[in-house]
Amino acid sequence: MTAPSVIRSLHLAEQATAPIHIAGLSKRYGEQRALIDVCFDVRAREVLGLIGPNGAGKTTLLEAIAGILPADAGDVLWHGTPLSHAHRRDAIFYLPDGLRPWDDQFVVRVVEFFATVYGHGQSRVAETIHSVGLSPVLNKRISALSKGYGRRLMLVLALLTPQPVLLMDEPFDGFDLRQTREIMGVLRDVASRGRSLVLAIHQLNDAERICDRFVLLADGQVRGIGTLNELRARSGKASARLEDVFLALT
Amino acid sequence: MRSPELAASRNAHMSPLLVKELRDALSGRALWTMLFILCPLVGYSFFQAVALYSEASASARDSPVLASGLSPLDGVLVPSFGALYLAVTLLFPFVAIRTLGHEKETGALRLLVQLPYRVPTLVVAKVAAISIAWLISIIPLVSVLIIWIVLGGHLYAPETLNLLLGHLLYGLLVGAIALFAAAVSESAATAAIIALAFTIGSWVLDFGLAGQPGLLEWISRLSLTQTLRSFEQGLLSLSLLLGIVAVICGFTALSAVWLHPGQRLQIKLSRSVICVAIIAAVLALATQIRTSIDLSEDQRNSFPAADQRALAELREPLVITVRLAPEDPRYVDLRRNVLSKLQRVLPNVTVRLATTGQSMVGSTSDEAYGEIEYSYGGRLAKTRSTSHREALPLLYGLAGKPIPTPIAGEDYPGYPLIAGSELTLLWFFAALPLLIAITWWWSRRVPRIPQQLVQDGGQT
Repeated sequence: MTAPSVIRSLHLAEQATAPIHIAGLSKRYGEQRALIDVCFDVRAREVLGLIGPNGAGKTTLLEAIAGILPADAGDVLWHGTPLSHAHRRDAIFYLPDGLRPWDDQFVVRVVEFFATVYGHGQSRVAETIHSVGLSPVLNKRISALSKGYGRRLMLVLALLTPQPVLLMDEPFDGFDLRQTREIMGVLRDVASRGRSLVLAIHQLNDAERICDRFVLLADGQVRGIGTLNELRARSGKASARLEDVFLALT
Repeated sequence: MRSPELAASRNAHMSPLLVKELRDALSGRALWTMLFILCPLVGYSFFQAVALYSEASASARDSPVLASGLSPLDGVLVPSFGALYLAVTLLFPFVAIRTLGHEKETGALRLLVQLPYRVPTLVVAKVAAISIAWLISIIPLVSVLIIWIVLGGHLYAPETLNLLLGHLLYGLLVGAIALFAAAVSESAATAAIIALAFTIGSWVLDFGLAGQPGLLEWISRLSLTQTLRSFEQGLLSLSLLLGIVAVICGFTALSAVWLHPGQRLQIKLSRSVICVAIIAAVLALATQIRTSIDLSEDQRNSFPAADQRALAELREPLVITVRLAPEDPRYVDLRRNVLSKLQRVLPNVTVRLATTGQSMVGSTSDEAYGEIEYSYGGRLAKTRSTSHREALPLLYGLAGKPIPTPIAGEDYPGYPLIAGSELTLLWFFAALPLLIAITWWWSRRVPRIPQQLVQDGGQT
């Protein structure tokens, strides 16, 4: 067996174990290339960090994966089979950044809506609400929520969805240090229960604390994929922080 | 292949979605504002209509002939419902746009399309919410009907329900157009401009092109307000009904095509073309349907019963050649009094305009201008009259049939009523708006939170 074919079979084997494989996603906005042949896997029960500066293409990539934005080329494979546009939502749920949906509704109403859509009982809803500390604002209108509670609400909605892969854009934006750590604990728990998380994070310290692996994205291109140690090895900086590794590889 | 777990996640119940849509519609200010504006509009229209009707009734007190001209449909219902027409044309688009436009602006749509509902299901739920919003908005009109009965007025159920059906269809049509506008626009403001271009554009067609000859006359028929005309005359035309339903379904389908932000533009365009082609085909089919039911109590859309029976026996093709310009008032009279009634009762009627392309001014020097020629069974007869009292005897003569004897007691008696409606202003200007305000306040109350959900450490 030749070396390339071994690599190819290893890659295929990896695809078979990874629930989601992103295969060559590309997207243009006029002359600007927002995504260029982006490829990576999302493994079961992992927290994958999508790391990149502002404008790197993180949001575009997440939206293209979720099927909310049409990609120009590329596929999303579910256990090796292309996941059609209409069926993306069966496998993937995407939580956009900075949303304040149904802002004139009460928090409890929107939570109840998601819970009834997915057939969750009250105990599951209560557990989710308590895990992110949303209880104090259940009787408030969404428009009246602070940024932090708005984030918690969005997190509750995402946690009530059953899709095996959860994409989240800047999940810690709006939280202070203590709250960020609490939410990291919640997300870790979610991953340990079987869901795969893809988090677009621009705060590299946060990413380093929670993510198992990283996809480094700059100018719409993947510049590196792997665990922190693997990326350190690639960058030749054995004990560097993620920040230094990112700067070295991009 | 998708796993069974994934397939199961696509079968959610419709009810939570419907409840959410209804809550969204009720929580917005657009519907309540429309209701508040409708109360005085409807109230004043009704007050004016009753005042005029009473005045006419006073004149007709001693004259059965004058009394027979007093129909509550024309005198009270149509003017009162005119306020609803105005509100639906100008304000209802905002109510309908909100059901989708607000979700687009806040980003909620990006969550909605990921829920286990197909896009058409999402759109149907929104149309259901728009329909319920329309039902809420007719509360002032329902009170008009009740007050009219309390005042001693007469209502003929079939024509009243037909009028309501016409306004429902018009409301849904405006709602579907507004929903489509919201689906193709990035902001609610743009959607409002598009929707109002349709509704107010119809007024331009009505005032600018109606009565014009040729193509302009055909274009004027595209006006949305044309949908109400026959319902206001107590006529239920299956052709019109099918046409309106097809257009409503068409705009709903187009909304579904354009709703999903992740769909490619090319796919949206190609599906839109298919939708438009299907709508056009159904409309073409609808024009072939000639069945219509005269639901008016005075049977204004039909000839007297004896003539209806006699004419129903004529089976040969009737060709009517009209030498009148379309904008000529005599042609309008002829259409209303003779042509449309003949087209309803006879199986094969062809109307030819001999002056196509000519204006009324240009044709008046022609000596034959004004002639109406009836051709039946190879025989011809001419007249200049636009009344059925002249035309029908000619037609019986051509068919070799005797003129039927009028059936006694079939005349419409008319329903004169002298009533004072000043007190109703109090209802429409004060009591009803107050009730609506209370309902609005009640709808905004804080919901009951289950105890299980609030028992928490209370992080802040």
